This record gives sequence, structure tokens and C-alpha cells, in this order.
Amino acid sequence: MIARAFGAMGTVVSLRLDGASDSFDADAATAAVADAFARWEQSCSLYDTGSELSRIGRGELALLDAGDDVRGAYEIASAWRSRTGGAFTPHRGDGLIDLNGVVKALAIAESGSALDRLGLLRWGIDAGGDVLVGGGAVGTAAGAWRVGIVDPADRGELIAAIDLAGSHGRMAVATSGSAERGDHIWTQPDASPIFAQVSVAAGDILTADVLATAIVAGGRTALEEFTERFPIDVLAVLVDGSLMATPGWPREPAGCRA
Amino acid sequence: MRPRALLLASAASATVIIAGWQLGTLGAVTAPVAQGGSQTVGTTRSTDAATSDPGTADAGTSSDSNAAIDSTSGASDASQATSSTDGTYAGSTVGTRFGDVQVQVTISGGAIADVTALQLTDHDRRSVMISNQAAPILREEVLQAQAASVSMVGGATYTSEAYLQSLQAALDQAGF
Repeated sequence: MIARAFGAMGTVVSLRLDGASDSFDADAATAAVADAFARWEQSCSLYDTGSELSRIGRGELALLDAGDDVRGAYEIASAWRSRTGGAFTPHRGDGLIDLNGVVKALAIAESGSALDRLGLLRWGIDAGGDVLVGGGAVGTAAGAWRVGIVDPADRGELIAAIDLAGSHGRMAVATSGSAERGDHIWTQPDASPIFAQVSVAAGDILTADVLATAIVAGGRTALEEFTERFPIDVLAVLVDGSLMATPGWPREPAGCRA
Repeated sequence: MRPRALLLASAASATVIIAGWQLGTLGAVTAPVAQGGSQTVGTTRSTDAATSDPGTADAGTSSDSNAAIDSTSGASDASQATSSTDGTYAGSTVGTRFGDVQVQVTISGGAIADVTALQLTDHDRRSVMISNQAAPILREEVLQAQAASVSMVGGATYTSEAYLQSLQAALDQAGF
């Protein structure tokens, strides 16, 4: 297993790569992922003032004249706004189009497809705390990756763990916090957040990422609605430090607890 | 003779339907838990959304929830013809080939507001969860792991600077 890391989208992307054969080229795999992130960052980053999305924000470019990536991401984000009843939105409070909520997930998903094409035995992508796994061996017990979830009150400690692709077809886990950077979470102005951190495990990274954001923004009502409507497992850390979890979130095996 | 036989046969069918209707009433709504003003029950449209759990239920439990819906809609269909009161009603336990099922129906403003599974057991009489609702859980109850035993760390997005102090950075450097 080879570990790699590189900077992208204002954070760090960590890779775990298992080759299926001796001809496995970790540099090529890392480059494929870095390319996907760089392309999405170029088109959709608001941090990069030269990106297409930044130019749209300044009125220099019409959304309809933007490239496939920007229009595609906006369409996907808008579809999720409808699906979540507005709890997730591609618009900032000031009306500016902000695709941060989907762009990282789209880059992760595209990177995953690239790694699958390279025929890796199994791989894991962790982009700033959002994780997707895959590969030919994933789905077997030996192919699962154990992912720790950080304690929002002490980021040097883990609060829980989840095995991805070990069961239930969980391939992705994404986490959002109410104190998250980037401010793509718009909680109601008069409502203080209930959740300090929400982790959502799902079959794909986009669903996991969008719903984690939507639950942080929408609070308890959103948690109840989305856990019923979508095939997801959720671990929520409330602001008082207590936890809530869906029945499918992994438990300590019976008999192992004191 | 032939028209007469047909008439009798139709009458017999109608009797069966009416008997089934009444059985539905008796079978499912027996124990009022709370009471409110007098209302007429209207619709059953909310039952499916309230009970079904397509995403996470496996074959066994989803069949259980179907059984729960069937027994409830039988009750509410019947109630349409009669007067009913707002409140929460516990249904009787219905044995299915997957285990025992019991539902609780909340009627508000003359319509079914909520249907919850009160009791569900599998063959071994263990309780089975069909709801995917998040519930409070103790820290000791969720799967625990030491940083050294995980491959990756999930958390709210960190900046490049914060990464340097993160557990993920430690794992990356250690090659875990």
C-alpha cells in the first residue's frame, strides 16, 4: 500500500493506493487524481479569481456561456437544492453562485473513476476529510478501509470509526461542521446550529457530501427527513458533545463494551 | 334460474367484502392511547411515506414494514365510513411469516398524521428496527478506533495549514 498526499482546493488530498500487479504506477495514479482536482479548481473555484466561476460572479461571463464543468456542476447542485427542499443550495447568502458544496465531491468522484480505469486493487481518496474508496478488491472483507471520524471538540482525537465498502455498499463518508471554512453552509440567521459536526456515509461521495451539508444547515428536521428518504448512515455530534446515530452506523460489537 | 344464481353469488361476494372491512376495524384499532376532539377520518395517503424505508431495510424487514402498512390501511379504510377521534391508537399485534408487527397510528384533524412501528420481532423474537431515524447514542457505543488503526480520517474540511497538525498528516507521513 502506497500513501501519497498533495495540496488542492485549499486543503490536502491524501491517497491510499494498492496495485493489482507489479506494473502498478503510483506516480501515474497520483497524477490522474491531481489532474482531476486541478481541472475542477480551475473552472469552479471562488478562491482562484481567474476561474470561470469567479468571472461569472463579477459579471464578466454568463453562466450559459461557461464550460461544461461549471454548467454541469450548477445543474447538479440545483437538482440537490430541489431534492433537499433548499437545505442545500448553490447560492451564497449574497446571491453569488457558490459551487464549493459539490465541486470537491465531483473532483473526488472523477478521481475515483480514473483510479478504477487504472485497474487498482483498491484505493482510498481523502480530500480534506471527505473519503471515497473503491477498486477491484473493495466489496470483499479484505478490501474494506477503516476510516476514523475526528472529534470536533478535539481534532487530535477520533470519536468513531466506520468501515467503507465492508458492508451495506458504503463507499463514501463525508463530514460537515457548523464552523466549517468556506461558508458554503447557510444556517438560518436566527437559528443557532444544533450540530457541531455531521458525518454521512453513502454509496457515493456526492450524496454523502451534500446531505452532510444539508443536515448541518437544516438541523434536526433535516436529519429526520433525510435519514428516512435516502439510503444513508449518519453520525451527528451535537453542540453539547452528545451523539446521535442511525441504526446502520457501526456499533461496538456486543460484549466488547465495559 | 341463472340470473337468480348470479344475484346470489354477487350478494355473497358483497358479504365477504363487508366482513373483511369490519375485520379490519376490529383487528387494527383496538386501544386508544390518547383522545381529542371528534373527527371523521379522511385519508391514508401518508402511510406509505411514514413507514416505508426503501434505502436501508433488507428483504426481511421491508416485508415487515409492508405488513405494517397493510394492517393499518385496512383499519383506516374502514374508519372512513365511521366517525373517529383524534389521538394515537395502538394496533393489535399481527403475526407475519417474518415475525410480529404492531403499528401505532396518530390521527390529527381527521387525517392520519403518522404511522410508527411500535413492535417488530424477527423469528427469534428479537426486536428489529425498520426506521432509519437517528437516535441518541453513547460515545462508548459507536465503533471506536485508535488513530494508528485507521487508514484515513474523516472530518469537517481542514485548510492546508490545519492539515499540518491533523491526524491525517500523521497517517500520511507514517504511510498507513
